[in-house]
Amino acid sequence: MIKFFGFLKRIYVFLLFIALEALAIHFYANSTSYARAQLVSASNRAVGHLQAGLAGVTGYLRLREENRALMEEIARLHNSPAAAAPTTGADTVVAADSATRASLSPYRYSTARVVRNSITRQDNFITIDKGFGDGIEEGMAIIAPSGMPVGYVLGCSDKFAVCMSVLNREFRASGKIKGSEFFGSLYWDGRSYEYLMLSEIPKYAEIAVGDTIVTTDYSSRFPQGLPIGTVESFELREATYYDVRVRLASPVGALRNVFVIRYEDAAERRGLEEELTGQSY
Amino acid sequence: MQRILEYTLMFVIVALLQVFLFDNLNLSVYLTPLVYVTFIVLLPMELAPVAVLLLGLATGLAIDLLMALPGINTIATLAAAYTRRGVLLLIAGKEALHDGGVPNAQRLGLKRYLRYSSAVVLLHGLVFFTFEALTWRYYYLTLLRTVLSGALTVGLVFCCQLLFLMKPVAKKDRL
Repeated sequence: MIKFFGFLKRIYVFLLFIALEALAIHFYANSTSYARAQLVSASNRAVGHLQAGLAGVTGYLRLREENRALMEEIARLHNSPAAAAPTTGADTVVAADSATRASLSPYRYSTARVVRNSITRQDNFITIDKGFGDGIEEGMAIIAPSGMPVGYVLGCSDKFAVCMSVLNREFRASGKIKGSEFFGSLYWDGRSYEYLMLSEIPKYAEIAVGDTIVTTDYSSRFPQGLPIGTVESFELREATYYDVRVRLASPVGALRNVFVIRYEDAAERRGLEEELTGQSY
Repeated sequence: MQRILEYTLMFVIVALLQVFLFDNLNLSVYLTPLVYVTFIVLLPMELAPVAVLLLGLATGLAIDLLMALPGINTIATLAAAYTRRGVLLLIAGKEALHDGGVPNAQRLGLKRYLRYSSAVVLLHGLVFFTFEALTWRYYYLTLLRTVLSGALTVGLVFCCQLLFLMKPVAKKDRL
């Protein structure tokens, strides 16, 4: 018996290590992306205000750049056909200012500022400075000033919302080659924050380096026709489909201001889809 | 008592550096320094293994909450804290471990210190990045991340230990 306790005394550090490690791994393995968003939210309560302060300082340093981006966006809106004559054309235009169009479109735009944004992890999140109190809800889309989708809201507190970044390996959306109807699923492989992967593009699709990839209307979050990026390279897989490497239209790391999009029909559409197919999209 | 204060201060400094500086730098997927491991590297050698392990747990939990990661820091820091003694035994030898003190470049000698800190940092990084990736598909990518981020971290840990030892170094009139 004494020997046994002696043995225990010799290896209790090892046992403690195994127990703690097992607990930590168990906790990690069972954390869903929702739980992770909750954690980001809790962390924001601890450091959010400081992070927001920091974002304010760096934001100030980038005013010139930001101004230029906003001017470009205004110019783009002026040039877009929808600004001249509202149509229900193929390309949804960001925040079209025409009153008729706004009342027809199921998408409502608002702005927010990014206060925390990681791009070097495997599961990245974006925190914005608006929450419940500002009408932000789970599932709303976040897009860059250039129109590129950058994520969607996972959860919010009163003043902040945590969003799944496109640079998160659990992010899923669909994308298609602009001007054709061939679509594939869009995801991040965790390798570079400049590229996304678009897979399952059928092999008979006409595709070329430099082609623009846009969002499809299969999403219950993103409006269709938003530019995601351009084709950097592609290769045929199993002789049936292409895996396409897409260079993102604008850098996620330099995000300061974003648009938050509410899809008015989202609840109805998701409800119907879930009810009839038993799956959530 | 003074030593506890010094270590508390170091803990706060490396945690703040990690969360507010290095996590915001966003250098590259391949360069994510995990500077807070300095705290584990520089704990006194005479500290009981169980104390090192518990301090590792505390560090991991604190950094996990601040970085908003669900346990990866805890897993990696526990592993680093547990293996630290073995690494020290292997690289610095029994006598050095018995004599105790802070395992810095001055006490261990630059070469042995670098070998020791690299071993702890690389192991910590390997566990961290493996658990973050959770896939074998791009394992070369994980290894690359470990090695490149590890090299950067070793350099930063070296700078931290210089800072931490400013005072004693000045006293002994070395450097």
